[in-house]
Amino acid sequence: MHLEYTPEQQAFRAEVRAWMEAHVPKEPLVTLECREGYDQHVEWERTLASGNWGMVTWPEAYGGRGLDLIQWLIFEEEYFRAGGPNRANQNGIFLLGPTIMEFGTEEQKARFLPPMARGEVIWAQAWSEPGAGSDMAAIQSKAVRDGDHYVITGQKTWSSRAAFADWGFGIFRTDPDSKRHKGLTFILFDLNSPGITRRPIRQLHGDTGFAELFFDEVRVPVENCLAGEGEGWNVAMATAGFERGLMLRSPGRFQATAKRLVELYRAHEAEASPAAREAVVQAWMQAQAYAWNTYAVAAKIMAGGKIGAEASLNKIFWSELDRAMHRTAMQILGAHAELKRFGNGQINQWLEGYIFSLSGPIYAGSNEVQRNIIAERLLGLPRAGAG
Amino acid sequence: MDFRFTDDQLTLAESVRDYLAGTHGPEVLRRLDSEGNRDPAIWQGLVDMGLTGLLVPEEHSGLGLGLVEAALIATECGRACLAEPLVDTAFVAVPWLVRRGEVAELGAIAAGTRKVALPHVLNPWVADGADEFPGQPLQSVDPLRNLVMFPASGSADPHLLDLGALMSAAQLVGLAEAMLHQATEYAKVRTQFGQPVGAFQGLKHQLASCAVAVEFAKPALWYAAGTLECMSSNTSVHVSHAKVMATDAAIQTAETAIQVHGAMGYTYEVDLHFWMKRAWALAGSWGDRACHLKRIDQAVIGGTLPIGPEHTFA
Repeated sequence: MHLEYTPEQQAFRAEVRAWMEAHVPKEPLVTLECREGYDQHVEWERTLASGNWGMVTWPEAYGGRGLDLIQWLIFEEEYFRAGGPNRANQNGIFLLGPTIMEFGTEEQKARFLPPMARGEVIWAQAWSEPGAGSDMAAIQSKAVRDGDHYVITGQKTWSSRAAFADWGFGIFRTDPDSKRHKGLTFILFDLNSPGITRRPIRQLHGDTGFAELFFDEVRVPVENCLAGEGEGWNVAMATAGFERGLMLRSPGRFQATAKRLVELYRAHEAEASPAAREAVVQAWMQAQAYAWNTYAVAAKIMAGGKIGAEASLNKIFWSELDRAMHRTAMQILGAHAELKRFGNGQINQWLEGYIFSLSGPIYAGSNEVQRNIIAERLLGLPRAGAG
Repeated sequence: MDFRFTDDQLTLAESVRDYLAGTHGPEVLRRLDSEGNRDPAIWQGLVDMGLTGLLVPEEHSGLGLGLVEAALIATECGRACLAEPLVDTAFVAVPWLVRRGEVAELGAIAAGTRKVALPHVLNPWVADGADEFPGQPLQSVDPLRNLVMFPASGSADPHLLDLGALMSAAQLVGLAEAMLHQATEYAKVRTQFGQPVGAFQGLKHQLASCAVAVEFAKPALWYAAGTLECMSSNTSVHVSHAKVMATDAAIQTAETAIQVHGAMGYTYEVDLHFWMKRAWALAGSWGDRACHLKRIDQAVIGGTLPIGPEHTFA
């Protein structure tokens, strides 16, 4: 156990801090879930890319910096310290990028990764269908081989970023006679292809970040298939692992929220309840515990270890922490909690954050599914119906 | 920056775990409960492993190891529900005496011939302190805890409190892991409605929640051990942090484990109660939840501790 940063790590922190302080927008951006906010966030992706800060853990060959996980944690800490905006290209950075690196051909890596790193192409995910949410193996959307193309017909829903993004990725049934996990293929597609209709879905807050996608005989070249026909389930499971794993929600985000919550409490100390005070202390404790846990897991991975079903512990912890922190803020704000903008015109970020936090226990595999995974794969309890 | 244990540390903890698993099973707890709480042979086994001298400097015939190793082993003591006063003597009293330069008894402690129980003002009694404080014995809900009132006031030294709280937190983590294991194993074999009760989500999700609580109490414990070892400036906050999270994880797991065992869980027949009662006892020892929350509160809300993403290791 060595609890000091090296001089190189300290210098790296100083470098990130200086760049972030010079470049992070002074005013919070408009929410990513509307056209104006989306454009602002894409602009921010390009600013990040101009400093080569877009994909810091990616290899240099694909537009990254080739940083290790400790450097990544330092980067994230400084990113959230500076109040860096949400990442419009999160689906690309954390989900598709690592998936292409693991399963893609050299041609696919060269074609898709650098534009992703430069913020030129923003990606949407397309997993769920109306009948396939937590039960993703129930997917029905079809991709039928026709020469050197697949012809896609069907419907995807809850597609994050799909209202405005450029490209999408998802799994489709390429073998019409297949059942469940078999016969699925992972396909990348241009969201502006003929035959795709996007219907933005109005979310809880009234804005439209995700969308339904309707595919009506959409022709996609076979070279857009990742890892071979019929391999879709394995690829998707790896992608889902990235989503739940170490990188989707770095600790800096929650430590920054906990700090803002402490500041909010201090400003309302006179009228806040003792229960809110304890909840604020708990928020700090849990955000710190999450950070230390992430450092421990990062050190383990750097030493050649792997993160498996343990990722489900993380996903439950951060998503329920985020919801609790924002709920506490809403309680502290009292009557002001309902205001979209405060009297001084400032956006009520706690309200926006609270609404967003309610999605955390649902997306990236609902927390009920995560608890099943923990119970069955970590604790070894039998599956339902096992006699 | 490398927030990991060394292979040597992990090997040491594993050897203690294996030793206790092999020699100190539930049947030993039941025997102690019916025959008088302490067994010199168990103590001698711990002495023979060198554990009483773990933190005693080498020039006083000890192993000269540190609090991180001690915390790992205290976790194993919790896992085995060890009743012998190893943790209080070897992992609380020894480092306190060493730091104060009181070395006279260290050799005897390492050799296992001297047990030391230190009173602190926050603890109204002492466990296994009858030799030093011949006072009124008290009966704990934990049948294997030998409590005695101590006559004079104890120390108010915060370093002693930190050591006691850290080692209680470590034991609570071990207790929680053991109770989670016992409940899980029971849920695999108890069948109702034609299947193991552990196949039902109602149980699965409760046990999974305990696994989450324990998982995130551990890094708080490890960090507290690391900072107390090097006496960094904010170590008391980190110790309190570890104690609160370990206590909450242990109490949640104890209640869940009882529930998972159903009516059996409410009996003296099931071994679980030894672990649960130790958790209750340690939850209030060396500073209860309120005491430790207050120390964290003063640092975090009071502003004496730097907070935010760039202060992960403040």
